[in-house]
Amino acid sequence: MKTRWIIFAGMFVIVVISYLMSVPFETQPSPEIQKSFDFFESLPESSVVIFSFDHEASSLPEIQPIALVMLRHAFKNKTKVIGLSLFAEGTAIGYRMLNKAANEYGLKYGRDYAFLGFKPQHISAILGIGESIRRVFPEDYLGNSTDTLPIMHGIDNYDHIDMVVTIADGDRPAQWIEYGGANYNQQIMAGLTAAMITSYDPYLASGQLYSVVGGLKGAAEYENLYGKRGSGNRGMLAQTSAHFYVIVLIIIGNIIYFRNRKRQGRG
Amino acid sequence: MQTRIPLLVCLISGLIMFAQYFSSHPVAKSIYENVLEWWQIIFAFTLLVGVAAFIKTNLKSISQKKDAPYRTISLLGLVLMPILALIGGTKIDTPFLWVFENMQAPMQATVFSLLAFFVASASYRGFRARSIPASILLVTALIVLIGRVPIAEFISDSIPKVGFWIQNYPSMSARRAILIGIGLGSMTTALRVILGIERTYLRGN
Repeated sequence: MKTRWIIFAGMFVIVVISYLMSVPFETQPSPEIQKSFDFFESLPESSVVIFSFDHEASSLPEIQPIALVMLRHAFKNKTKVIGLSLFAEGTAIGYRMLNKAANEYGLKYGRDYAFLGFKPQHISAILGIGESIRRVFPEDYLGNSTDTLPIMHGIDNYDHIDMVVTIADGDRPAQWIEYGGANYNQQIMAGLTAAMITSYDPYLASGQLYSVVGGLKGAAEYENLYGKRGSGNRGMLAQTSAHFYVIVLIIIGNIIYFRNRKRQGRG
Repeated sequence: MQTRIPLLVCLISGLIMFAQYFSSHPVAKSIYENVLEWWQIIFAFTLLVGVAAFIKTNLKSISQKKDAPYRTISLLGLVLMPILALIGGTKIDTPFLWVFENMQAPMQATVFSLLAFFVASASYRGFRARSIPASILLVTALIVLIGRVPIAEFISDSIPKVGFWIQNYPSMSARRAILIGIGLGSMTTALRVILGIERTYLRGN
């Protein structure tokens, strides 16, 4: 019991101290991050991208840096962004992030970006967007008719969408791939929590998933490419310290284990 | 009759949806679009079943004085949130959203953050090189763990590369096998349901 509390206290102290310190990390971007960055960089002006906020509130500290840096990059390159959510909890969070990033570039709601809100039953929503976005979302999050939004002129289904970016902490990207990708040939990019990255490796290798920006490290690498450090970089030292703390604990645990086994062998 | 009608409905619906996938006829498209809308409506009604079950389970536990304070708070939350939504709506700057952003979100983030503490404790107690397979798992975990932080590149260029190799080959092949298994299993189950072989949704009749 005592050991457990020491371990807990150690983790708390290490994370808090390292989070308060500001140490810049220069890292080589992984190929996936570079691919995601290059996609937005090469998009022509006024291209349209859907950002789907498919996550819970619990993963916000990891998800927010990813979403914000990608939105900033999209807005910087004058890409039009349509936001939506297939996870109820991501709705208000998504709207706030979209507004925050758009306001930094002085963009206008309805013309440069819009948020269509939440739709339950994600599979039917993903399939429905393939037929008509207006039918799935007749109104935006603020109650405006979707038809009255200038950004929606000429936008009816996936044929007019250059990329769907799903910001997720669970299995929603799989459904975007299996229904939006397989049925309508829509390109899908994902911003994922670190724990979910390996789940999507097979989709990445097969090309069904265009690219992934994963975890705090992914956000930090993207921020470095984008040229403005944000909360991804800020959290890297805390994450690195926590990883090393866990490694040290594994090593200490094994030293104690082998020492005890040796003693028992002698006895 | 009680069994035959649902089975017939299931068979006809299944065959129609199967056939429409291969057709671009306007009737097939219209059926498909209508089914997508029904799907969302039916889903909304299934939520009511979940709410009813939640209330029933919690009321039963409260009457048995089992975790009564926690279950009372759960029920209060369930009642309070719809009231707030009915009064002010669920959009920005409403009491509903205030509760979500200032109570639910921080509480969820707190519970999720506790994982870091349990991982630390479990790594100390459970990650032991007791056998050769356990040792392989241990070394693999250490490489991936170090490879996921930026400082790995400063220690050695090989660590992230080996980490990526583990992720891209052994890990992915296992994942792919699981996904293919799930896909084949889903297809088999769908066929069994459409053909009326799988009847557990009819209470196994």
